[in-house]
Amino acid sequence: MNPDHANPGGGNPPNFLTDLFANALDPGYADAAARGARRSPVARGVRVVALAAIGFLLAVAYREAVAAQPDRSQAHARLVEEVKAAQARTDDLQRRSDELRRKVTALQLAALGGGSEELKRIREQEAATGLAAVTGPGIVVTMIDAPPQIDPTTGRPSRAEVSRVLDVDLQSVVNGLWASGAEAIAINGQRLTSTSTIRAAGSAVLVDFRPVTSPYEVLAIGPDDLEDRFGASAAAATARALVDRYGLGFAVRSDGGLRLPAAAERSLRHASPVQPGTPTGGPK
Amino acid sequence: MIAVLALVAGVVAGILIEPTVPVALQPYLPIAVVAALDAVFGGVRAKLDGVFDDKQFVISFVSNVLVAAFIVFLGDQLGVGGQLSTGVVVVLGVRIFGNVAAIRRRLFRA
Repeated sequence: MNPDHANPGGGNPPNFLTDLFANALDPGYADAAARGARRSPVARGVRVVALAAIGFLLAVAYREAVAAQPDRSQAHARLVEEVKAAQARTDDLQRRSDELRRKVTALQLAALGGGSEELKRIREQEAATGLAAVTGPGIVVTMIDAPPQIDPTTGRPSRAEVSRVLDVDLQSVVNGLWASGAEAIAINGQRLTSTSTIRAAGSAVLVDFRPVTSPYEVLAIGPDDLEDRFGASAAAATARALVDRYGLGFAVRSDGGLRLPAAAERSLRHASPVQPGTPTGGPK
Repeated sequence: MIAVLALVAGVVAGILIEPTVPVALQPYLPIAVVAALDAVFGGVRAKLDGVFDDKQFVISFVSNVLVAAFIVFLGDQLGVGGQLSTGVVVVLGVRIFGNVAAIRRRLFRA
């Protein structure tokens, strides 16, 4: 069947799609041939120009397609660089803060004299609030993201989302440790204080706004029976359930000599200490 | 022969000149390429069929590119740019396949 015969005028045949599949060649060629078109040099020149334009178009499109890819990865690389620079700056500031802290400690020592009651109290309060590094016996709780599933057909790690340790899991473990009598806790070297936060941002876990990644090592200093008490706590039971259900890693071991770093100092902007002698409790 | 040389010259010019496509025109580039390919394969088939016509070829190329770009532009304005692009690619793709199949039959008798 040739629609050109059914539709000699060359206009749109009644069924465009059928015609499209049956007769891919533009009907115009047949019409032109039927008219007996002459070959003029001008027409040939125009044809050459059109073909050159097509070649040009193909080359440009190819270049665009190739150029688009590096653009994307360049933007990605720039962002990674920015993040790395910001992290380095944070580390610098952290180092400087530690240095100043050491200086403050030295000045306190000089001003109050060693062995003074005052200094001892300051040290203890700093240790309790997390503003000073502490050492002592305790336990290490390790939580690890589930390993990626191995695809049985390809033998490669599947690209499906792996089961991750969530902020709530870490919160539960930390709360369990506090409840079991822990006196100082740090997650991946980030000391927790009374104002610490453990939050999720996307798929990352932030402790005090600094990202921590799997494996999560929760160091806790506490009494000798800390391991037993934590092992019997609801938090540990929840964590073990996560291991069974999602394949997360969870382990507890005791350590005789843990060393926990000091937390970054948070100065109080709105709250101020109550003066001794003023009645406390309840709104004024 | 002249046609192939012209095509090659265009490609070489495109590589040497390294033109930058204005951002506003970038969405139309892929569609324009498909439309141009349709015109080229249509022309080759017509040549093999012995009905090639310069005027028909040039007009089909220019109008293909313009109409395809216009449809995509209209689709973008109406918020259905993706769907209309797909439509254009399907229609032109079917024609390219048909013409290439015809060329293949003529060249290899298969």
